[in-house]
Amino acid sequence: MSDPTNAAAPETAAPDMAGLTKRQLKRMKRFDNPWNNPKLIWGVSLLLGIVALGIFGRLFWDTDLVFTGAVMPSQAPVGFENLRGQVGLASSPLGTDVAGKDLLALLIVGAPNSLYVGVLASLIGMSLGIFLGFTAGYTGGRVDDVIRVSSDVMITIPPLLILVVVQASFGDITLTMMAVLIAAFVWQSPTRLIRAQVLSMRESGYVQMARLSGASDRHIMFREMLPNLVPYLFGSFIANVTTAIVTAVGLEVLGLGPQRVPTLGRVIYDAIDSAALTRDMWWWWGFPTVLLMVMFIGLLLINLGLDEVSNPRLRRL
Amino acid sequence: MSILDIKNIHIDFPTSKGVVHAVTDVTLSVEKGRRIGFIGESGSGKTTTALAAMRMLANPGFVASGEVHLNSLDGDTNVLHLDEEGMRRVRLRKISYIPQGAMNSLNPVMRVEAQIWDAVVAHEGAMEQAALQARSDAALNGVGLDPRVVGRLYPHELSGGMKQRVCIAIGTCLTPDLIIADEPTSALDVITQRHVMQTLREMQAKIGAGLILIGHDMGLMAQSVDDIAVLKKGVLVEFGPVRKIIEDATHPYTRELISSVPLVGGESFLQAQAAPPKGEALDVPLLELDGVSKVYGSVTALHPMSFALDGEEPKIISIVGQSGSGKSTMGSLMLGFNDPTGGQVRFKGDDINAMNAAERLEFRKQVQAVFQDPYACFNPFYRVNHALKFPFENFGMQGDVDAAMREACEAVGLDPGLVLGRYPHQLSGGQRQRLIVARALMLSPKLLIADEPVSMVDASLRATILANIHDLKDKHGISIIYITHDLATAYHVSDYVMVLYHGHVVEAGPPTEVIGDPQHAYTRLLIDSIPWPDLDRDWGDAGDARAALDKLAEIGGTPETVYRGDIPGFTLRQG
Repeated sequence: MSDPTNAAAPETAAPDMAGLTKRQLKRMKRFDNPWNNPKLIWGVSLLLGIVALGIFGRLFWDTDLVFTGAVMPSQAPVGFENLRGQVGLASSPLGTDVAGKDLLALLIVGAPNSLYVGVLASLIGMSLGIFLGFTAGYTGGRVDDVIRVSSDVMITIPPLLILVVVQASFGDITLTMMAVLIAAFVWQSPTRLIRAQVLSMRESGYVQMARLSGASDRHIMFREMLPNLVPYLFGSFIANVTTAIVTAVGLEVLGLGPQRVPTLGRVIYDAIDSAALTRDMWWWWGFPTVLLMVMFIGLLLINLGLDEVSNPRLRRL
Repeated sequence: MSILDIKNIHIDFPTSKGVVHAVTDVTLSVEKGRRIGFIGESGSGKTTTALAAMRMLANPGFVASGEVHLNSLDGDTNVLHLDEEGMRRVRLRKISYIPQGAMNSLNPVMRVEAQIWDAVVAHEGAMEQAALQARSDAALNGVGLDPRVVGRLYPHELSGGMKQRVCIAIGTCLTPDLIIADEPTSALDVITQRHVMQTLREMQAKIGAGLILIGHDMGLMAQSVDDIAVLKKGVLVEFGPVRKIIEDATHPYTRELISSVPLVGGESFLQAQAAPPKGEALDVPLLELDGVSKVYGSVTALHPMSFALDGEEPKIISIVGQSGSGKSTMGSLMLGFNDPTGGQVRFKGDDINAMNAAERLEFRKQVQAVFQDPYACFNPFYRVNHALKFPFENFGMQGDVDAAMREACEAVGLDPGLVLGRYPHQLSGGQRQRLIVARALMLSPKLLIADEPVSMVDASLRATILANIHDLKDKHGISIIYITHDLATAYHVSDYVMVLYHGHVVEAGPPTEVIGDPQHAYTRLLIDSIPWPDLDRDWGDAGDARAALDKLAEIGGTPETVYRGDIPGFTLRQG
């Protein structure tokens, strides 16, 4: 009983690896490293693909083709015909729009821009959320009341309603400005999430142990609590990127947002505005839509993957 | 005639680390009207074996091989061959289950009687309202609850003991062949535990069913069952009549389980020490409570009380009481985690709630604690070293941290190479709690507050950890406040005991007086309710338990304090 080696023995029977199929063993090996998760890997690859499009596109393609009249207007992609029976040329492999902009150049510049708005808005929102959530949960009292009520009120306000009014009155704005405006609507859910976690962690044994050890409030918040929140923060961050991109694209498709910088939403707005649907110019709205889908599927897969990483019960044998 | 035969059953759990054989080759039979106890530590497979009979194994567990025969079934008696619908009809009607947490197993939005009707209708089909009412009235009467009052209540309006008795009523309303009770009293205090267990025994004897009682407390088993099955790591190591097991166990593990239950007046599990080292002599008491009280809203958790603890001669003061007696409130007041509503807590003469940052750090360095839950005490993000290293460095202590950690681990009987550098989830509960004791030792405080340090640790390790804590006093001169609900351990480790009831001290004095020969009605009741692992010391029947609860109600809110003598260096007064 007092033998230390004996005390280390687990109380349950030891696992047995015999009698498993090769396939099961292989799947099990994967669980040794939870980050080695297929969903996560696929999601990250899809997003990296968008970033790579932006980087390599700038190296190998002329981004000046995004300007009006740079190429022949209304051309179909290579191997397809437009309504006038002109076959698309290799000089504009994804076709062109009615104003003579090259679609490939538009995507190379626009797709990373959309991602940038989403990531920046989410980063600002998360930072606000972490700060407010920790303050509310750890301080409590009147401060908590103010933060809780204001985030609850903000959550009920439809962001698009406000943003349409604000952006319409601003006129032309930059991408960063737009991200900041969207960030004003994505801090509420991380605030609530972190506040709830901090409230329960504040009473936990290890926080009490840290207080016994004479730890400062800052040490408890950032060294004891924050590391345990990382899975939640990641998940919340990715969900917020999705929300921010949806909001940004929504505004752009309405013709709001940056007027002079190509974004995926802006391309779709132009396509709708120039009746691309009735003129059968499917490439004009189709390619940006596909890229947006890739982006959202990538984000969704990352979120599902992170969920499995932080919650081992979701992993299946 | 046996009602349930389990034959050579193997139960496997495929996990990400390989297949865990939770139960290996267990064979046993339950006779009609017989009570069987399944005893073992957490993870020993006792619940898993019992649940296999109901086919209610937790995912992803499955019965790999073996047979479970329920002999009252027609035709094929193997329950593992039944289809879902057949199994549904067996559950509750043939085999009923009384769960561990009655709080979570009743439907919160249904009246108690309606939950009994649900069970009856599900198995016997729709019937007249009057007939249903008669059934629920009979079931509630059987467990000693007034059907006209309790039947109309919702679960949140009942106490824990009443909820557990409602579960017994539901479990017995269809007169099943077999009742499986999974630690039915683990969340209840000893007084209520006795009442619930007596009710369960009474009902089981009335309907003549078999009973499987799952538990880890040898004392409770001795008082409640006819046969005991001892499981260890999924293997049935011993099975036999309770008297034979208790008095003449053959397997060393069984003997260890029995000896791990400390007895009042029995042999001590501690080794006597020579004179313990002295603490520093001060003009003021080490810790002083001066008229301290604590009120939460309309509830008074602690009535004004005062005591002074002199640190020169290290001693262990036990604070004993049931849940809600205010003992943990006292602990957090002494640690300065909570502000007292009235009075002052003084450490070496300074009010601990009026200290500046530097004084507070010094106070923290000198007053340490061991908490109840060893699983929560380590930050899952860090290796266990963090919990030991951080305070050492934060308090600016001299010396080599790693050497100090290794030394402290060895002092509490842990192999430093085995536990240091691991993550908390890789260690067992006992190892973690010993590490917390090692942490306290490393910081060498003047005072240690141990709040239920062993209540969540497996029985076989409790004595070891208490011995470690006792060593802190004997070998290192640390005074200890030991907060517990367990009178038997308090009897052995402490120099002075105070019994708390509803925030009042009802009896206080040296343990041989207070626990060995209790005078106050409440202390006596507590001691009578302890289930002794001694067959000749009977627990009494349900009538006794009911009378005891009535007596407890009479004591009411403002009991008298009985002082049973003093020890040098400690003074206590209520008010």
